[in-house]
Amino acid sequence: MGQPVVQTIHRDPALFYWILLPITVVMILTGILRHYATVLLQTTPKKQTLGKIREHRSLMRGVHLRTNANVISPSAFESRKAYLVSGYKDGSFLADPEGRGKAPPNPMSDPAMMEGMMGMMKGNVAMMVPQTLIMGWINAFFSGFVISKSSHHCLLVKLPFPLTPQFKAMLQSGVGTRDLDVRWVSSLSWYFLTLFGLQPVYQFILGSDNAANQMAQQMAQMNPAAGGLGAGNDPDKLFLSEAENLEVIEHDYILKGIEERLLASLA
Amino acid sequence: MSVDLVYPPPNISPKTALQISQRAPQVLKSSSQTLPFPLSLLSGDDTPEKWTTYENLFVSCLRTGDDKSARQILDKLLRRFGDKNERVMAYQGMMAEANAETEQEAIKMLREYGEELESDPTNLPIQKRRIALLTSMGKIQEAISMLGDLLVISPTDAEAWAELSDLYFGQSLYDQATFCLEEVLLVMPNAWNMHARLAEVIYLSTIATSSDKPGDLLRGLAESMRRYCRSVELCNNYLRGYYGLKVVRPSLLPKAPKSEKNTPDAAYSDLPLPTLSTVERLHELATAKLGEIVRKSAAGEKGWEGYDGAETIAARELLDRDTKSISS
Repeated sequence: MGQPVVQTIHRDPALFYWILLPITVVMILTGILRHYATVLLQTTPKKQTLGKIREHRSLMRGVHLRTNANVISPSAFESRKAYLVSGYKDGSFLADPEGRGKAPPNPMSDPAMMEGMMGMMKGNVAMMVPQTLIMGWINAFFSGFVISKSSHHCLLVKLPFPLTPQFKAMLQSGVGTRDLDVRWVSSLSWYFLTLFGLQPVYQFILGSDNAANQMAQQMAQMNPAAGGLGAGNDPDKLFLSEAENLEVIEHDYILKGIEERLLASLA
Repeated sequence: MSVDLVYPPPNISPKTALQISQRAPQVLKSSSQTLPFPLSLLSGDDTPEKWTTYENLFVSCLRTGDDKSARQILDKLLRRFGDKNERVMAYQGMMAEANAETEQEAIKMLREYGEELESDPTNLPIQKRRIALLTSMGKIQEAISMLGDLLVISPTDAEAWAELSDLYFGQSLYDQATFCLEEVLLVMPNAWNMHARLAEVIYLSTIATSSDKPGDLLRGLAESMRRYCRSVELCNNYLRGYYGLKVVRPSLLPKAPKSEKNTPDAAYSDLPLPTLSTVERLHELATAKLGEIVRKSAAGEKGWEGYDGAETIAARELLDRDTKSISS
């Protein structure tokens, strides 16, 4: 096997200025636009009712008591435990004590839930629409540069380092040549690279909590119920399981043997 | 010494507050130089840090009487968040409270808070403002009952529990104050200042209520001593913790058992009583540490300058009392 032939493709140097830079600039501008569109589309979260706040925080109180039980004396712990467990079992902390035991309402019929879903939809739209538009635009606008008969995608840059053929799908999407050196990058691929790589630029321009990046949004959609009571969960069941957790907890007072601990560590 | 405006230290002294509020005009000026409209979209300065800075500045300005800057900051907050925002409503209330000079005006403020709460009972910031106003007007009983109502709704609010504890303590209701401090500790178990505060409350309540019952007295003193131990275990240079250890010792010492065996029945106490030698060794440790703190903070050594002036003076005085009783 001899040395592989070095591929030289003659391309207009103006390609660099008229394709590479425009795509990058357009991507940055779209990101900024997306940020402001998301800000505009955001609805203020709906206010919780007094009962809901109480329900949630009473549950949190039980969680705190369970995790930090050791800082208070056994007697103080026992009295709190008795109070919370009986309250949890009676359902006296529930926002809607009459609704105990009924099946949780259909999330679709709950207006608060619908609003949350609308918010998610809006986020999705703000993410998907520009993405689709720009991809179509790049495909339509920059694909006319004929370089070889089989490929009608322009090739932009030659990376200054060699790569394995596995990168072909990433760097030359839409180019139908098997033998082309992987170091050539097509315009569509450049679009994808900027799509995922512009986050630091947005951070610089818009501050760290911008909505320009779709990756962060996708992350947020993975667990929409993070924080707060999980949507659709029956609070009564949560209370009962928390009561069970509290009942089995073993109390180990933190002040037990503290003098020796302190003297051993400091003296 | 410059202060971080985004994360200001707790318990700001009057001097620091003045320093902070003197920076207000400068901060206000620098933020007003923004780019014209289309370019301003490209520079996102609408960060949470910016608004936190404004809030902290606002409070310091009110404290030091710089009402002009406070007004400007409040206007900025109003423009950004609107007058229906709960926090902004509370700040507006603070501004009005600061300007209220007569009793009638304060009562008028109370009525306004009441009306706002009637239209929206979930507005916790306004509820807290009303309680604070009641406290400053001396209506402690009302403040306590309102704070109780607030804590029924929001039992995980450590700040409110601590405030309620202080109010109860002011009324000499020590058991209630202890209970509230325990709740604070359940929310933030590693707050050493809260451990020390609980120790102080337990110590004072024991001295005040059970000096004629030797069993309760001993148990309370031991509990208080152990709380102080916990606070210095969490923060090894905590002045109040060591100070407390030294203060508790004289009343505990004559009653502490000589050895582990003849500790009184553990049934009426959560923990066995500390032995005489343990108390003495803790006292030695506290004396040594207090001496070190007083010396180093007086010398202004690096890393030791954060101590409160009044506290170091009190600690020095306590140490001096010791040496006098030895020499005499």
